[in-house]
Amino acid sequence: MQNSLKRIWALLGVTAAIGAVAATSAVASHKAGPTIVIWTDANRAASVTKVANAWAASKGANIQVVTKDFGSIETALGTVASADAPDVVVAAHDWTGQLAANGLVEPLFPSKTVAAQFPPYTLDAFSYGTAVKKLYGIPVQIENIALLVNTKIAKVPSTFAQLETEALAAKKKNHLSFGICVQQGSGGDAYHMYPFFSGLGGYVFGVNKAGNLNPKDVGVANPTFLKNSKLIDKWNKEGLINSKTDYSVCDSAFTKSQTPFWITGPWAVSDIQKAGVSFKAVQVPPIAKASVPFLGVNGMMVTKFATTHNVDAAAKDLVVNYFSTPSAQTQLAAAGGRAPANVKARATDPILAQFGRAGKGGVPMPNIPQMSSVWSDLGQAWVRSTKGAGAMPAARSFKGAARAISYKIG
Amino acid sequence: MSTATTPTLSVEPPPFRPSLIARGIAFFSGSVGFAIKIALLCASNALAVWAIYVLITHSRWPAVVVLTVATVLIDLVYLAPRRKTLPLKFLIPGTVFLIGFQIIPILFTINVALSNYSTGHILTQGQAIAAIKINSLSPPANGRQYDIAPARDSSGKLVLIMHDETGGKVYVGTPKGLTELPKGDVKLGATGQPTAAKGYTIITGAELFTLDQQLRDFKVPTTGDAAIQPQGTAIAVELKPTLRYDSKRNVFIRITDGTVFHDNGLGSFVSGREELEPGWKTYVGFRNFSQIIHNPLVRKPFLTIFLWTFVFAASTVFFSFAVGLFLAIALDKRGLRFQRLYRSVLVIPWAIPGFLSLLVWAGLLNDDFGVVNNLFGIHVPWLFGGNVFSWLPFISWPRIAVILVSVWLTTPYFFLVSMGSLQSIPSELTEAARVDGGGAWQVFRRVTLPLLLVAVAPLMIASFAFNFNNFNNVYLLTGGGPYNGASSIAGNTDILISYTYKLAIASGKGSDYGLASAVAIIIFILVAGISAISFWKTKSLENVR
Repeated sequence: MQNSLKRIWALLGVTAAIGAVAATSAVASHKAGPTIVIWTDANRAASVTKVANAWAASKGANIQVVTKDFGSIETALGTVASADAPDVVVAAHDWTGQLAANGLVEPLFPSKTVAAQFPPYTLDAFSYGTAVKKLYGIPVQIENIALLVNTKIAKVPSTFAQLETEALAAKKKNHLSFGICVQQGSGGDAYHMYPFFSGLGGYVFGVNKAGNLNPKDVGVANPTFLKNSKLIDKWNKEGLINSKTDYSVCDSAFTKSQTPFWITGPWAVSDIQKAGVSFKAVQVPPIAKASVPFLGVNGMMVTKFATTHNVDAAAKDLVVNYFSTPSAQTQLAAAGGRAPANVKARATDPILAQFGRAGKGGVPMPNIPQMSSVWSDLGQAWVRSTKGAGAMPAARSFKGAARAISYKIG
Repeated sequence: MSTATTPTLSVEPPPFRPSLIARGIAFFSGSVGFAIKIALLCASNALAVWAIYVLITHSRWPAVVVLTVATVLIDLVYLAPRRKTLPLKFLIPGTVFLIGFQIIPILFTINVALSNYSTGHILTQGQAIAAIKINSLSPPANGRQYDIAPARDSSGKLVLIMHDETGGKVYVGTPKGLTELPKGDVKLGATGQPTAAKGYTIITGAELFTLDQQLRDFKVPTTGDAAIQPQGTAIAVELKPTLRYDSKRNVFIRITDGTVFHDNGLGSFVSGREELEPGWKTYVGFRNFSQIIHNPLVRKPFLTIFLWTFVFAASTVFFSFAVGLFLAIALDKRGLRFQRLYRSVLVIPWAIPGFLSLLVWAGLLNDDFGVVNNLFGIHVPWLFGGNVFSWLPFISWPRIAVILVSVWLTTPYFFLVSMGSLQSIPSELTEAARVDGGGAWQVFRRVTLPLLLVAVAPLMIASFAFNFNNFNNVYLLTGGGPYNGASSIAGNTDILISYTYKLAIASGKGSDYGLASAVAIIIFILVAGISAISFWKTKSLENVR
C-alpha cells in the first residue's frame, strides 16, 4: 500500500515537471517586426551589431548577431537547421563558388550608383556562375600582402635586381639562411608565394569566353612560367628564398632588424610597430611581369534562409543598400583592421593605404570550388624547389604540381 | 597463511560494523534514493519534452514518435514494481548511451557513404530546382534597373512606384505591366528613390517587411518572358529566365538553344559534360565504394600509405611501451628520492594539449631554424628531407620525426599503465625466480614481462587503433608532407586518415563527404580486423596465469 502511494506521488511529480517544461518552452519571446540573424566573426561582431542596429532602428526591424569562428561559417551554412540559420553572413570572397554551387546564397543586384562605388575586381571576386555569372556578396574590406621594407637598413627597391642584391647583402652580413623572408613551412604557402608566381608569369585558372574562371585551364606550369622558372633555381641556389622559413622566423628576424625584407600582410603590422621598426609596404618589384599579390575580399552575403524566414527583402536592403554605404564600410573595415572596399570610404590609416597601393593590379583568389585542389600542390611545388640543398628543379616541380592539380579536378 | 589464525582470546570481538558499500546501499535504498530517482526521472522527462518540442517545430515526426515511446517506456520501467523490471533498470542507461554515441553515428556514417553528399549536392531536389530557376535569371541585353518604392493604389492593391535609373522616367508597375507616370506626379529622394506619388500611398516602416513573400513573388512583365522583379524593397531589376523547367518530364531546357538537361540519377541535371548548379543530395548506392577501387588517386598510393600507417601506429605503440616500461621500472625502486617529482614530470607530455605541443615540435624540428638542429650543431632534414639512406627506401627523416614526436606524446600513457601493472605483480613470484637462480634480465623476460603483458596488451591494441587514425600527430607536424615526388598527391608522412581528408575535403570540387564516409568505413573495417586478430592472439598470453 505504502509503495503504490509512493508511485502515485512520483507519477504526479513527473507529470508536473513535464508540464512546467512544456509551458516554458511554448512561451517563446516574440518581437514586433522582422528579425534578421547575422553571423559574424568575433572581431567584427561589435561593429556589425552597431551598424546593423542603426539601420534596424530606422526601419523597425530587429537584429540578432551571432558570433562564430570565421572559418566555420562557410561549412556551418551547409549543415545548420533552417530554424537556427542566419539570413546574412560575413564571408570571404573565395567561399562564393562553394556557397553558390551549394545553392546557399542569394544573388544580389545593387543599383548602378552603388556598384559604381566599388572597384570592379571586388565585385568580380564575389561573382560566380558556370552559365550566368551573378553577384553573391557586397564587398566590405580588402586585404593583400606586400613587401615590407625596413627603411632604416635598406632602400625601398624599385627593381627586382636591386631587391635581390640588397637582400643577399643582408643575408651575408647577418648570416641568415634566406634573403627575402616569406613564410612557407612544410605545408607550403601558395598565398604568400603568389607575388613571385605572378611575377614569373604564372596564373592559377584561365578565363573562358563568358568571363568565368575555367577550371580546365590550369596555368601553374604555363610555357611563360616554365621559361622563367630557371630564376627559381637560381634563387634557391643563392638562398634568396628558403621554404623552411615560417611566420615566427620572419617575425623575429624582421623585428630584430636582421632582415630588411618581409613579404606579409597587415596582420603583422602591430608586432612590427611594437618593436619600433620603421618600415614601408610596397608591391614586390616586377620580375618578368608585375609581381602582384593575391587579393582577399571580405563582405556580406544574403543566405537562402532569408527566404524561408520571410526576411528576404529586409536582408537584401540591409546588405545591398546599407552595408555598402561609405560610413558603414568605414566602421566595418576598421573593426577588421583592413581597408574598406568602397572607394568613397578611404582608409584613413597610412599603412593600410600603403598596403592598398601594394595590391594594385592584384588578382582576387579564385573563388571557384576547384581552388581547393590547388592550394596544397602549388604550395608544395614551391617547397620542393626552394628547400636549399637537394631541391627539385622548378620546371619539373611545377609541371608535376600542374599534373596533380588537373588530376584532382578531374 | 595458516599461522595467522592464532586465537586472541583476551581481546573482545569488535562491534559489528557493516562495510561502507553495504551502508551506502542501505542509505540509498530508502526515501533518499527514491527522491534521487524521481529527480533524475524528472530531468530525463524534461529533456525529452524539450527535445520533442524542438523536433515538432522541425516536423521530424518519426523521431517524435520514437522519443515519446522511449520516454514513456523508461518511466514505466523505473516506476513499475521492483521485481519485474529489475534487470532492465540496470541495462537501460548503458543501452541509451550505446545507441546515442555508437550506433547512431555508425548508421549516420553508412547513410552518408551511400549518398552523394558533397559540395553542390546538399539541398533536396525541390530546393535545387528552385535554386536553379533563380540562378538562371539573367538581365536581358539592355535590361534596366529601377529604384522602387512599394505602394498601394486607391483600391489598396500592392504596386511598385518605379524610377528608371538610366532613362530617368517614372512608372507604376503592376502584375499586368508597366505604366508611365507623369514626372510631376512622383517625388524622388536624394538617392533616386520615389518618396511620394500622386494617387498612391507609399508603404513605409514595419509594414514594408510584412510584404516579404508578396514582394518576392511580385513580377512586372515586360517583353517576352522577361519581368521586372523587386530585389529587396528599394531596387527592382529586369530579369529573363535562361532555363525553363518542364515539370512533367523533370528536365530543364535552355531557352536559347533548346538544350535539354536530364536528371542523371546522381543528383544533377546534365547535358553532355555540362552540369547545372546546384545539384541535390540523393542515394547513389555503392558508388563511393566502387570509386575507391577505380579511382587512381586512391588506388595508386593506397598500399604505400597503408603500410606506412601500419608502421607508424605499430612503432609508436612499441617504442612508447618500451620507453614507458623502462622508466616505470627505473622509478619503481623503493626509497628513491623525489620519486613523485620524477613521476609528475614524466606525465607532462600527456597533460599538455597535443595540438599545442605538436606545433611547438614542428618549430623545434625545423630543418634550418629549429632548436634541435641548432643545439646539437647538426643538419638533420627532419621535416623537409628525403630518405635517410639512399639505398633504403621507405625510411625517411620526416617519418622518423613523426614517430619520434608520437612516441614523446604516448610514452606517459604507457609509463602510467606499466607503473600500475608492475605494482600488481606479486613480489613472491619475482623473488621465487631469483631464488631459483634467475638473473635480472631473465626474471624480467620470463616473469615480469609476461605478467605485465596480460594487463597491458589490450591497452596496446587500443593505442594502436587510436594511432592508426591519429590525424593530429601527422597533420599538425608535417601536414602530411613533404611531397618528394614531382606530382605526388600523397605526402611522405600521410597516413590513411590524413590522406582521406586531403582527398575528400580539400580536393576536386570542394568537399565530398560521401567519399570521406566510405573511406572511413573501410578504415574502420581495417582497424577492427587488426584489433580482432590481436585480441585473439593475446588470449594466449593469459595462459601464463
